[in-house]
Amino acid sequence: MADVKTSLAQFEEISSNPQRLLQNYLDADEKVIACFPIYTPQPLVLAAGMVPMGIWGGQCNAHMAGKYAPIFTCSLLRSCLEFGMTGAYKGVSAAIMPIICDTFRGMNSAWRAGVKDIRPITFIYPQNRKDPGARDFLIEELKTVRSALEEISENQITNEALQEAIELCNQRNAAMRTFCETANEHLDLVKPVDRHHVMKAATFLRPEETIERVSALTEALRAEPVCRWTGKKVILTGITCEPDEILGYFADNKVAVVGDDLAQESRQYRSDYPAAASGMERLALHWFAVHGCSVAHDDNNTVRGRMLAQLAKEQAADCVVLCMMRFCEIEEYDQPSVIKEVTRAGLMSFSIDIDQSTTESGQALTKIQTFAEN
Amino acid sequence: MFAAGIDIGSTASKAVVLAADGSVMGKEIVPIGTGTVGPARVFAQALKSAGITRDDIKWITATGYGRFSFEGINDQKSELSCHAKGIAQLLPQTRTIVDIGGQDIKVMRINDKGMLLNFVMNDKCAAGTGRFLDTMAKVLDVEVTDLSDLSFHSDEPAEISSTCTVFAESEVISKLAANMRMENIVAGIHKSVARRVASLVQRCGIQLEVAMSGGVALNKGLVQSLEEEIKCPIKVHEDCQLAGALGAALYALGSMQSAGTV
Amino acid sequence: MSEPTEVKKTKRPLPQSRILLNALVDSIYQDAWDAESKGEPVGWSTSIFPQELCATFGVPVLYPENNAAGVAARHDSPRFIATSEGELGYSNDICSYARLSIGMAHKMAHDPAYEAPDVQRMPRPTFLLCATNSCFELLKWYECLSRELDIPIFMQDCLFNYTDAKPDKHWIAYGRSQIEHNIGRMEEFFGKRFDWDKFLEIQKISIENARLFDECVMMNDRNPSPLNGFDLFNYMAPMVVARGRRETTAVLQQLKCEIQEHIDNGTTTFGSSPQEYRVDWEGIACWPNLGFNLKTMKKYGVNCVTNGYVGAWSLHYTPGNLDEMAEQYMLSSTNVVNTTTMMGKRSDVANHFQCDGMFCHINRSCKFMTYHMTCGREIVEDKCGIPVVFFDGDQADPTIFNEAQFETRLQSLVDVMKANKEEQ
Repeated sequence: MADVKTSLAQFEEISSNPQRLLQNYLDADEKVIACFPIYTPQPLVLAAGMVPMGIWGGQCNAHMAGKYAPIFTCSLLRSCLEFGMTGAYKGVSAAIMPIICDTFRGMNSAWRAGVKDIRPITFIYPQNRKDPGARDFLIEELKTVRSALEEISENQITNEALQEAIELCNQRNAAMRTFCETANEHLDLVKPVDRHHVMKAATFLRPEETIERVSALTEALRAEPVCRWTGKKVILTGITCEPDEILGYFADNKVAVVGDDLAQESRQYRSDYPAAASGMERLALHWFAVHGCSVAHDDNNTVRGRMLAQLAKEQAADCVVLCMMRFCEIEEYDQPSVIKEVTRAGLMSFSIDIDQSTTESGQALTKIQTFAEN
Repeated sequence: MFAAGIDIGSTASKAVVLAADGSVMGKEIVPIGTGTVGPARVFAQALKSAGITRDDIKWITATGYGRFSFEGINDQKSELSCHAKGIAQLLPQTRTIVDIGGQDIKVMRINDKGMLLNFVMNDKCAAGTGRFLDTMAKVLDVEVTDLSDLSFHSDEPAEISSTCTVFAESEVISKLAANMRMENIVAGIHKSVARRVASLVQRCGIQLEVAMSGGVALNKGLVQSLEEEIKCPIKVHEDCQLAGALGAALYALGSMQSAGTV
Repeated sequence: MSEPTEVKKTKRPLPQSRILLNALVDSIYQDAWDAESKGEPVGWSTSIFPQELCATFGVPVLYPENNAAGVAARHDSPRFIATSEGELGYSNDICSYARLSIGMAHKMAHDPAYEAPDVQRMPRPTFLLCATNSCFELLKWYECLSRELDIPIFMQDCLFNYTDAKPDKHWIAYGRSQIEHNIGRMEEFFGKRFDWDKFLEIQKISIENARLFDECVMMNDRNPSPLNGFDLFNYMAPMVVARGRRETTAVLQQLKCEIQEHIDNGTTTFGSSPQEYRVDWEGIACWPNLGFNLKTMKKYGVNCVTNGYVGAWSLHYTPGNLDEMAEQYMLSSTNVVNTTTMMGKRSDVANHFQCDGMFCHINRSCKFMTYHMTCGREIVEDKCGIPVVFFDGDQADPTIFNEAQFETRLQSLVDVMKANKEEQ
């Protein structure tokens, strides 16, 4: 148990202090590439000999970002812009920015205007995924990301190095999935907030470091007696479920998180890079393997709700909680359909507001408590 | 042996004292809420009207926004659970509850045992909340308790289109400046709140009978507007404002009994 | 976009171009109803989808954005928005056109007592056409329509130009691939062969119409401007709903003659009040408040002689050249290009039109267009040296707009413009 506790504390430390980790990388003369949500071709960064670090905004009362970002900008990207403008990402060599929603269209301009010292590496994922031209387009588009990274790192990205990095990322994803399965057997030890810190820390750490740490944690958990959880169980969906206080409300009310579809968490790890002839092709094919995600158009348009219902069923969860990022219209469009599908499957659901601009989340507490009481 | 429920809202504090057999011994309302002397005062008054002392109370359950900050409680419950339980006792046929609080609008669907089946709340915006009505009353320079009567004297309700408090305030001011009758403006404000609430009711799904709880339910003009918007009658119990405190007291009674302190 | 009531209220008889325009729009709706009654396919389309395809197939298509603007201008949007936000559970944060149209689709499909709007009634569609050039929200909106009505989407994914460079070769190849494959899918869905000769003809008409429309827009650079700038919002309609039709050519030719007449006679549709200030209006109209906005602007002698939004249908390519056509659809919308490109262009136009100021609609529904204004303000101030003033509003949701704020902001813009003039 001591191992588990120590390990979870380390994950919390990493997850809560990405700036310290960034500084460590910079002190070791590493080049760091910031990766905006949700999907970025991180193996390219690794193959260029650099470190990819996710950026997810953070709780802050933005006062600079308002110059470029209207007040109804998605809370997460508004924080990212604020941090960019106020120097929190200082030292980062570039930021990979996939244009996956309208706010990113705006961020592309806002970032160029407001964060002059961090070069954005912008690219686009094709939405018409069933068009036969989409795959070739994406490969070419990713080549522009590759050239930018080669220029910054001053390294050639070989197919060999890329394939190796892809394998590493797939192994990392597998380790994360195994951790989630194992954690569900030990809900007494892995509280919602602990689970979150592990998932989030992995967006900051090098994949090899994640694999090592997460596998050790999984092993330590396996040595513990299996817990028969008597409280309620939920699945989280949305972009993120932060800050810690909100996750604390779940634990306080004896509600366990047994699965998620959060962009910051499982959406990062649930789909692997498929096998293909070249590394570039594998990167592109990953996009076509993404399903049930708000930023990737699916012809099968109830897939997300049904996927969540299925996940809830597998994990014997009682409820799907929609964590609605403030002003994220992409998630808002999915909200009614997701609720409809999970209700149809006989599950409870409710939505809570996720807002990085305030620490006030009394309403979320009321909702979680109400759910737990009934 | 007695149990007490205290509902500490953002604008008022309510308390109910129950005897072991469930009969109501004391019920009080003080029109100031969390962060004031309201909670302590309302509790003291409820004890007094029940004719008992603090030591006679074996279990206190708190609810409402200030539920964590009252000293000496045994436990606390969410206001939705308490309103559901309270209304199920006051108006047992109720299946849909609307509660307009100071900060939140809540719509709940309950079963015949008062258990919550579904609920929705407004997003983080004061539109349609009790706070919104308070602000509008202030702009019109009337007491919030006068809004109901005023609206019944309206002949042509004004169109208040903004839901944003700041914008609505300016709309009301310009209507006043244009010499529009105060009664019509108030009726317009009610209509605007009713529309906002009705959309949440639709979202939760209406099942008859519908009841309103909370202090705003005393505003008959608003209730009538809401009835028009959701196209069905709304029941209001005279103790609607005490529903949350009553629910909390019923929870307290249950806890007291299962703890074997009776 | 078409004949909002306030504009109709003007005492002057409708000009011939408007009569032609109204007849054209009516016939477009009639075609759709005729098809519906015969059980033939009817489409709903985003406003900048390659209309050339369905026009070639002879399959009628209607435009929810255009329709929503009309419904909102006639103050009929709240009931549809209420359905979306209430019964269907959509957030009030999403685009109001989307809320309106999803609410309408739901009522149409599931409410036997559905009462259609008085004019421009939309029949229930059997397929959807979605181009992503205007925004990403369109795609999410059309996903909802597709779910609500259980019908397929034909998509033209138009990539956002995140740099100032022209679209790369691989972008154009993807665009072209989509046009070709959509034609193939449509042949199957409609059970009709695609007539490539007719396609060429439609392309020619479309390009001719785009050229004529641009000419009309540019003629407003005279001082005084022959048109009240809001008129352009009305004449945008045929470019949205009938870009590939001969009747549109007739409307635009007539409009051009009328504008020329105004120029020759020194008259203007702005009315009798003098045009003291020439302003560039940025953003979509506040359709529910069009009448108030126009009245208030006239009160201060402010004419919005140009705006960037109406230029979104100016697509120019060589007939028969699919690469150029694909590229044009990736460039035409204000929202498919980045802010430096867009606001750089707008600054040039503002200079050309000798604008005294820029009046920006911070449209709660159109997030990215708003970014153009907040991020591009400095560009305009640098390149044009004119004041840029913002006001809050919405294209279809009347709960966001505030008359007092609008007038105060306009007044402050006038104050600065006045001071600038006096300085000169």
